[in-house]
Amino acid sequence: MTNPHRIALLFNANKVYDRQVIAGIGHYLNSTRVEWDLFMEEDFRSRMRDIHQFKGDGVIADFDDPEAPEALRDLPIPVVAVGGSYHDPSAYPAGVPYIATDNARLVRLAYDHLIEQGLGRFAFYGLPPNPGSRWAQEREQAFRAIVEAEAVEATVYEGSPTSAGGWGEAVEELVAWLTALPKPIGIIATTDARARQILQACVIGDIPVPEQVAIVGIDNDPMAQLLTRIPLTSVIQGAEEMGRTAAHLLHQMLRGVDCSGTRVLVPPVGINVQVSSRYHPVRSPHVMRASHYIRQYGCLGIKTEQVADYVGVSRTVLEEHFKRELKQTVHQVILKHKLDAACDLIANSDTPLADIALRCGFTSLQYMYAVFRREYDCTPRQYLDLHRTAGAT
Amino acid sequence: MIVARQERSMPVSHATAWDHLPDGRPLHRWTLRNAAGAQVEISDLGGTLLSWQVPDRQGRLGEVLLGHATAQQYLDSNAYMGGIVGRWANRIRGGRFRLDGIDYRVDRNDGGNHLHGGTDGFHRQRWDVESDDGGLLLRLVSPEGDGGFPGEVRVELRVRLDDDGALDLRYAATSDAPTPLSLTAHPYFNLNDRRPDIRDHVIRIDADAFLAIDAGAIPVGRQEVAGSAFDFREAAPIGSRLHWPDPQLRLVGGFDHCYVPRGEAGAGPRVVAVVTEPSSGRRLTVETDRPGLQFYSGQKLTGQPGRHGDMYGPFAGFALETQAFPDQVNGPDAEGAILRPGTVWRQHTRYRIDTAG
Repeated sequence: MTNPHRIALLFNANKVYDRQVIAGIGHYLNSTRVEWDLFMEEDFRSRMRDIHQFKGDGVIADFDDPEAPEALRDLPIPVVAVGGSYHDPSAYPAGVPYIATDNARLVRLAYDHLIEQGLGRFAFYGLPPNPGSRWAQEREQAFRAIVEAEAVEATVYEGSPTSAGGWGEAVEELVAWLTALPKPIGIIATTDARARQILQACVIGDIPVPEQVAIVGIDNDPMAQLLTRIPLTSVIQGAEEMGRTAAHLLHQMLRGVDCSGTRVLVPPVGINVQVSSRYHPVRSPHVMRASHYIRQYGCLGIKTEQVADYVGVSRTVLEEHFKRELKQTVHQVILKHKLDAACDLIANSDTPLADIALRCGFTSLQYMYAVFRREYDCTPRQYLDLHRTAGAT
Repeated sequence: MIVARQERSMPVSHATAWDHLPDGRPLHRWTLRNAAGAQVEISDLGGTLLSWQVPDRQGRLGEVLLGHATAQQYLDSNAYMGGIVGRWANRIRGGRFRLDGIDYRVDRNDGGNHLHGGTDGFHRQRWDVESDDGGLLLRLVSPEGDGGFPGEVRVELRVRLDDDGALDLRYAATSDAPTPLSLTAHPYFNLNDRRPDIRDHVIRIDADAFLAIDAGAIPVGRQEVAGSAFDFREAAPIGSRLHWPDPQLRLVGGFDHCYVPRGEAGAGPRVVAVVTEPSSGRRLTVETDRPGLQFYSGQKLTGQPGRHGDMYGPFAGFALETQAFPDQVNGPDAEGAILRPGTVWRQHTRYRIDTAG
């Protein structure tokens, strides 16, 4: 092949899911001897409208964009659609191969995880209907189908669209909804962004996570992780595999293979289990409230006294409850929280060790070294050499 | 009656009565345990892995192998469920091969081809089993002419369940006459005991090539995996790959192909495949020193009886069989698949199950 094919990728590359799809396309090209000239527009929406002027050979497009089916309908070159799955087969665009993230399996994985944690009540936090996010309705529908089939207690809340203007009011409503829910409860949020709103609302409403509300998001978005104080459990979509699949189908179509009837539903590839869903039935309300406080402020140098003050009992009473339920002192639980936070930063960030020590509530780098030696029999530097992933961002 | 106290530190098994052969001879099963609480059950019938219970992400024990309920079902089944397969794992074209100038015809039990040792392969025979250094030692003597193969073959298989979650299988075999030999274990895995379908499992296979097959599932040539549904060098869900338009997949309704894993065969076990199951968090790692890895996605398991009077459906389990290449005895490296007197044939394979994240 002398002239590489010119391929347009119509995606909103600002979102983690779209970026992973694009990465998957890149992996496919790297793994083969296929050479494509890839075209991506800064403003992908304008590209969608002007696509008929595109002098190229093929298109892979985000069909969650409501304009895509119409804009690409009569294009004389091969088009591969990427988007969310639909429970109603007639909702798929006709005559175009379609690579879908399997919304029903995403929700199922989140639900099964909450079941495994021992929860018996469930809620879904979705999005109000919008042509640009039909997948959110599909996820909500999948949730309704599961809880109906299993006859469990469940609620659905779509909330308000996320907009700066009405945000204050929306948070109040969200807090009110969360407060009124029977507890403990497991909540599936339709995205990590929505899950983050629940985490914020739980802080405002003083609702312990995960003891009263366990939360699972969808996307495993590093940005959402970064912006939450309580690490978020999240379902990982098979977005890279969707990209590989889309590239493979377009590759076949460019060779003349008819793929128009092909529909591939890609299930989730994992779930990143973090604190937000690690629900353990705890009997003592004192321990529950104390754990909630430690999870929020454990890295700010708090001491047992402050925890006891927050809970509203004496140090002695609190220590007794901790000993009975967790077989640990309050101090040990705070220290464990700081160490976990430090290990996470060491392994998954580029933050210098001295900054990590301070950010995790150690009074000095030397003190963090001492604690590491005592608890892990290694230095933070050795831990870093073992665990820091190459090229972590 | 005095009941023996169970020793935590003793992973070794004891024989318990299990079932009977049709002629009335008793069958037994042995249990291996490890420090993580996992346990494996093995029968003397076929050296069969009857059961393997492993903790999930929450530490809850669950079954990860498919299995039948009775010895009779194991004898009647054509799924090779959990058994040790020999003398020849996989297929031989037309059941024919030539060795040292002599033409041999072995059992043809798979549409005119030989499959998995023939009608009364190792998986249907009664093995001698004894405790051995914290594990089990399984022995079988395969007489001259067994399945049509030459020579008397003596097989020893040492099985251990290690504390890191690995089921460690070390095979050694000798023969008094030259014979093709390729043994494999044939467990079907489903790492999620709460869903009878493996299509959400995510598999990685460390192989740059696989053997393309004809309609009789006999290899016709080596093919690069790059750019095809067979490329699992980056982990991918099994189920969605089944929908890629690929004539090799359509031929057998899914995956039933031999991969050529990277790394040198015979130089100690190397990791050839890793399978994760998102819901349970369980992860299976396969290590072997064999040249070939057959990946079967279980599309033809429909109607196989389960342990509880249930029937398995398609894709109820998958198999990863470590072996020589299918029909290797009729290929350019036929000699590599021959066991000669005075030499010992060996295999070392580990199926390790732990939890990831």
